[in-house]
Amino acid sequence: MNTKGETSSGGAKDGALDSSSAAKKNSKKPKYSRFTQQELPACKPILTPGWVMTTFIAVGIIFIPIGFASLFASERVVEIVDRYDEDCVPPNYSYNKLAFIQSSATNKTCTKRLTVPKQMKSPIYIYYQLDNFYQNHRRYVKSRSDKQLRSRASEDETSDCKPEAVTKNNSAIVPCGLIAWSLFNDTYGFSVKNKVLEVSKKDIAWKSDQEHKFGSDVYPKNFQSGSLIGGAKLNASIPLSEQEDLIVWMRTAALPTFRKLYGKIETDLEANDEITVVIQNNYNTYSFGGKKRLVLSTTSWIGGKNDFLGVAYLTIGGLCLFMAISFILLYVIKPRPLGDPSYLSWNRGNVTESF
Amino acid sequence: MRGWDKVRASASGARFGRNSTMNERTPSSRTVRLGRVTPQAPTHRTIYCNDREANQLVRFRGNSISTTKYNFFTFLPKGLFEQFRRVANLYFLTISILSATKISPVSPITNVVPLSLVLLVSLVKEAFEDWKRFQNDMAINNYLIDVLQDQKWEPIPWKKLQVGDIVRVKQDGFFPADVLFLASTNPDGVCYIETANLDGETNLKIRKALERTWDYLTPEKASEFKGEVQCEQPNNSLYTFTGNLIIQKQTLALSPNQILLRGCSLRNTEYIVGAVIFTGHETKVMMNTMNVPSKRSTLERKLDKLILMLFGALFTMCLIGAIGSGVFIDRKYYYLALSKSVDDQFNPDNRFLVALLTMFTLITLYSTIIPISLYVSIEMIKFIQCTQFINKDLHMYHSETNTPALARTSNLNEELGQVEYIFSDKTGTLTRNLMEFFKCSIGGEVYGTGITEIEKGIAQQNGLKVSEHNSANSVHEKGFNFDDARLMRGGWRNEPNPDICKEFFRCLAICHTVLPEGDENPEKITYQAASPDESALVTAAKNFGFFFYRRTPTMIYVRESHVEKMGKIQDMSYEILNVLEFNSTRKRQSVICRYPDGRLVLYCKGADSVIFERLADVNADLKKVTREHLEQFGSAGLRTLCLAYRDLHPDMYESWNEKFIHAKSSLRDREKKLDEVAELIEKDLILIGCTAIEDKLQEGVPACIETLSRAGIKIWVLTGDKMETAINIAYACNLINNDMKQFIISSETDAIREVEERGDQVEIARFIKEEVKIQLKNCLEKAQHYLQTLSGPKLTLVIDGKCLMYALDPSLRVMLLNLSLNCTSVVCCRVSPLQKAQVTSLVKKGAQKITLSIGDGANDVSMIQAAHIGIGISGMEGMQAVMASDFAIAQFRFLTDLLLVHGRWSYLRLCKVVTYFFYKNLTFTLTQFWFTFQTGFSGQRFYDDWFQSLYNVIFTALPVIIVGLFDKDVSASLSKKYPQLYREGIRDVFFKWRVVAIWAFFSIYQSLIFFNFVTTSSKNGKNPSGKMFGLWDVSTMAFTCVVVTVNLRLLMMCNSITRWHYISVGGSILAWFVFIFIYSGIMTPMDRQENIYFTIYVLMSTFYFYLTILLVPIVALFGDFIYQGVQRWFFPYDYQIVQELHKHEADDTGGLDLVDTGNQLTPAEARRYAISQLPQERSKHTGFAFDSPGYESFFAAQLGVFAPHKAWDVARRASMKSRPKIPLKK
Repeated sequence: MNTKGETSSGGAKDGALDSSSAAKKNSKKPKYSRFTQQELPACKPILTPGWVMTTFIAVGIIFIPIGFASLFASERVVEIVDRYDEDCVPPNYSYNKLAFIQSSATNKTCTKRLTVPKQMKSPIYIYYQLDNFYQNHRRYVKSRSDKQLRSRASEDETSDCKPEAVTKNNSAIVPCGLIAWSLFNDTYGFSVKNKVLEVSKKDIAWKSDQEHKFGSDVYPKNFQSGSLIGGAKLNASIPLSEQEDLIVWMRTAALPTFRKLYGKIETDLEANDEITVVIQNNYNTYSFGGKKRLVLSTTSWIGGKNDFLGVAYLTIGGLCLFMAISFILLYVIKPRPLGDPSYLSWNRGNVTESF
Repeated sequence: MRGWDKVRASASGARFGRNSTMNERTPSSRTVRLGRVTPQAPTHRTIYCNDREANQLVRFRGNSISTTKYNFFTFLPKGLFEQFRRVANLYFLTISILSATKISPVSPITNVVPLSLVLLVSLVKEAFEDWKRFQNDMAINNYLIDVLQDQKWEPIPWKKLQVGDIVRVKQDGFFPADVLFLASTNPDGVCYIETANLDGETNLKIRKALERTWDYLTPEKASEFKGEVQCEQPNNSLYTFTGNLIIQKQTLALSPNQILLRGCSLRNTEYIVGAVIFTGHETKVMMNTMNVPSKRSTLERKLDKLILMLFGALFTMCLIGAIGSGVFIDRKYYYLALSKSVDDQFNPDNRFLVALLTMFTLITLYSTIIPISLYVSIEMIKFIQCTQFINKDLHMYHSETNTPALARTSNLNEELGQVEYIFSDKTGTLTRNLMEFFKCSIGGEVYGTGITEIEKGIAQQNGLKVSEHNSANSVHEKGFNFDDARLMRGGWRNEPNPDICKEFFRCLAICHTVLPEGDENPEKITYQAASPDESALVTAAKNFGFFFYRRTPTMIYVRESHVEKMGKIQDMSYEILNVLEFNSTRKRQSVICRYPDGRLVLYCKGADSVIFERLADVNADLKKVTREHLEQFGSAGLRTLCLAYRDLHPDMYESWNEKFIHAKSSLRDREKKLDEVAELIEKDLILIGCTAIEDKLQEGVPACIETLSRAGIKIWVLTGDKMETAINIAYACNLINNDMKQFIISSETDAIREVEERGDQVEIARFIKEEVKIQLKNCLEKAQHYLQTLSGPKLTLVIDGKCLMYALDPSLRVMLLNLSLNCTSVVCCRVSPLQKAQVTSLVKKGAQKITLSIGDGANDVSMIQAAHIGIGISGMEGMQAVMASDFAIAQFRFLTDLLLVHGRWSYLRLCKVVTYFFYKNLTFTLTQFWFTFQTGFSGQRFYDDWFQSLYNVIFTALPVIIVGLFDKDVSASLSKKYPQLYREGIRDVFFKWRVVAIWAFFSIYQSLIFFNFVTTSSKNGKNPSGKMFGLWDVSTMAFTCVVVTVNLRLLMMCNSITRWHYISVGGSILAWFVFIFIYSGIMTPMDRQENIYFTIYVLMSTFYFYLTILLVPIVALFGDFIYQGVQRWFFPYDYQIVQELHKHEADDTGGLDLVDTGNQLTPAEARRYAISQLPQERSKHTGFAFDSPGYESFFAAQLGVFAPHKAWDVARRASMKSRPKIPLKK
């Protein structure tokens, strides 16, 4: 690179000017170093059949126990999923669900009964699951103002929040933006054997969100005051850092199908208990055909019920063992001696092979 | 008349492209406007010596030089401009601008950060290089030079020097500008200069001032000098100069002999005084500085296609996304608030516009598919490969000449690994350019009993054993290896024709341009000659008892022994009247000398073809016998010269000499006229005999050629030698052996000769062309016949220059190409430099194969530049070949290391680097692409801006560079042991589209794994407290998996893993974690969305993170692993077999051995070393058995213009002098 730019006169001349005075015996012999001679010590792994088999077996041996452990943990989790978006629409509205949900006059209360399949140890987590709801849509994701959420001083920083940034008389909406505006507003009440189950709404958001992203001096203001109501309203006397429903909602989901934590029940439920759920079916998913589900779930060390990891581990572990066996079989059926010169391309076939 | 000058100036300006611009810069008061012709500089400039005011009007350029590309102010704009001329950078600039707009899902930093890092690296490099150049310039500009001011010598820095100044240059000083030589402290107004910086030749040249100016030596005298110089405009021809010095109304012709060029240095002269005529950038040496046209490697050109393909992929992905977005957008997603007045990007009323804008959105989002750091990484890798590996390889260091290898460009490293055709010069490259007088034929009698290496080689191939018997009286000194008692020590007196012998020796002693140096003593004298042939001939004369010991401008002194009678020694002085110089058209050299007794003789030596044409019609037998001898010598690989003489009649000479002087003083076409005049007297010659000089093979050439041909490389020898010599060199080099079928296409057939004798040029051309066509057709048919039969013989083609000229005709070219590509080796003999280049580009363009040219002399320059890779042999010859080359090595045999080791490794490494870059960027971008499907095609970014911007420049940057530097499939010694491994490079095995497709396939596979595994497994609560992950947790997880996997994948493709691999791979993964720990741990007041805040801590508090980080990379690499295992098992590459063969051998630690062997020389090596320490002879190979002092110069060859030979031929000054008719002294 540098030599290219050098000019024939410049380069050559200066060399000569220097060397003419210097002693001629000045050797230009390069100094030996392992780096320049490209002889750095190196390990040279060769992927021999032995290594291939060993690797496969090793992966298989590690993966299968992990797979079983995860699967077992996942199996221990008891999960009740109930879709209620259709059931909670009165039959007379079944062809015009949108009218039902958008009308303020209709009675949105809906009662469902769920049977506990197995004993559920507390805490039992309550989730709502939405379908076909693009919380990760670009327009949606960016429609928030983190500064406003964090501190009262930045209340007016709503530039990202359009079109839910300000009210008609130009005062800032707190919390602004589409995410907050479309806050989920179905509510659930639970009772078993006519005994009401307390739903705890505390500690459902990540601590980091609660403490650092949502200010304790920021109170909702002008929220849902427009003509269009997107979702839940907020109690203007509670600071945002305490509004855990909002905090959960505002941690936008990665996929259009997502669950969000609603609350938890601190009571154990026995098998075959019948839970009565009173749902306030307020949230509009009908316009875009989204499903709504209520999920009750216990957790284990791995989290909620999810067989995917366990199955994946087992599959890959099994596949590895299978590959190991097939390689061994191949090795028996069609062995290739290592380092057989006859495999060299110039030893194969005709000597006068054209290249 | 002046108008015509203008026209001519513009015509010549157009021809010499670069000159014209220089001309225009010199304004002139004499410009005349002629119609629409723009003002041109006059064809000459006028310089008033020692008169700054008079020169002021013309405003010549100053003497300060600047070779820097930038200055302080232009650096940023110009440097940036240079950078943005690269498409990749421009693309990223566009993307960066796009991402600053509202449609972009990513913030500008995503693209600006990598771009600026890449630009920063490039600019720092540029600045550093320019700074070095600047310092060089400053140092040079500030050298002090004595200038005449107020009758005193005042030292001023070079840069203050002006045209017309009178300067004094002291011994060993450098000339600060192109200087007109006025006076010297030496008698005769002579000075000696060394031109090593111009052409690398270290032998001294003589310059001589005009007699009229000899006196201007002291400051007092010099200040009286008021001359006016009218000379040509600055140009880049080093060896020509035309001009006149007008002094006291007397016009004196100036020649190159009076010009001292900048860059040369003064030797053996106390000081000289001169007038500056060209300064600074107008000096000839500066006008010759040109950047070697940069060549791009084949791999890089293929890389461009790959990038284009990536653009295609990018476009497709964007199109899919755009269509999706147009379809998706709908008011029903009320939470997106699309009902009110909504910006165009999401307006469901205009779906086409939505799609269009999303297209741009997605381009910025997927911009990472184009690996921005690829080019800068490749540049860095290649640069280190060149400067650290190639330049410092001890295997390629030649201790005898103290020359390491030199990579002059770093563009072509990997091209070295794919060479299929090597075009080699013979002399100086295959052979040593060490000329030894070996045999001769005098008056039809052969003398000399030696057997050449080539004859030995042939004998050995024929199974004969040749024992070397050294007789006691054989004399062996440098340039002389002759053994025949019949000639030595006066023995020639007893031979049948002692008179011819005498003429022979005198011709050797007189007819040359050699300069004696040192004591006038046969043992101590050294001969400075422009060609080793000449030096060998003069040395031979010395050994025969005709010791040439002194030369003055007009005389040659020879100490002759045994002439009158045995044992008598007498000093003879021959007056040199004229020297008719050697050049490529004349192919002969003559000297007209006057014996002390008044005898006028013309001695001539030259090529047999030209001498035989000019012989008098006597003694046909001698001619016939000598011709036979010539052929015999030629087939023994010896270089032959014919000697002849002619007695001249004084009257006839005087009349001729007038014509000669007239021609000499003509300003235009001087050379051509001189040739014509010479023709008049060089006729009716009497043949004396011929000489045979051995041209020794370079060390290790046959072994190297054998290795290279096993590597699948075909070697073509392009030489100017006779067909017999060329064929025999080819034999000795293992290029041809008796098992091969030879096709010979020669113009030396009787039929052609017959036509040639008739002399009709049109007829000759037509006939030869027809003949060549028939021969080509025949050979091609035979070749195809041989190829059809299995295990047929290997084929070789031998063709001579004249036939080649016709064979290169467009109509026959295809046939020639077909034939020659079927041959394993091709020898082209008697070819001109232009033909060398033509043959090279025939294969380069016609066959689309990678070609390499190697040569040492100026005549190889065009060939070196025509080939994909040009290699110059350094250390021995002039610098011209090296200056034009891409790599310079000291010995032909180092090609083995350069190609088989460095080339192969570079190719392998760069293939890996490129494919890996392709893979990692594609994988990364595809995960983003899959996410797009889940976001309603809105173009939401999956990764945080900073992840995306640092992915290329930090998290995956270093390991790939380490691979580019250190990966090694088999060791250097094994590379040479199994040269066949090189064929993988020729076939381009590692960068086929198939290879790229496999990488692409695994990219898609891996990206699917990343996206789906991470998202699917994240759908529910991920820790015992049941809390859910958001988008940014998932993306951080996915990104972690990508970084880990991509870095591990790199380790999987390494053939050798050094500490640096571990450090860089581990470091990259660690860098990611360190980054994310800090980045997600802090809240900055900066305007950004705090999406990433605490994500990694949230993730790492769950088991999910650890399970995934173990699972996903292994699953992703599962496919690659199976592929690699199966590939190695069933379709092993050759190198893999070799690896297995030598699995248990420790890595060669050849370095330590090398250090030791450096000090211990075997006797043979010691002798070679001793020889190498002798003053070196330098020459350029001319094409037949004599090296002319100035074969068509490098620059002439480049411009395709005939340029006369060098000006500083020692003897030239003798003929330059316009002689009075009567000798001055008697």
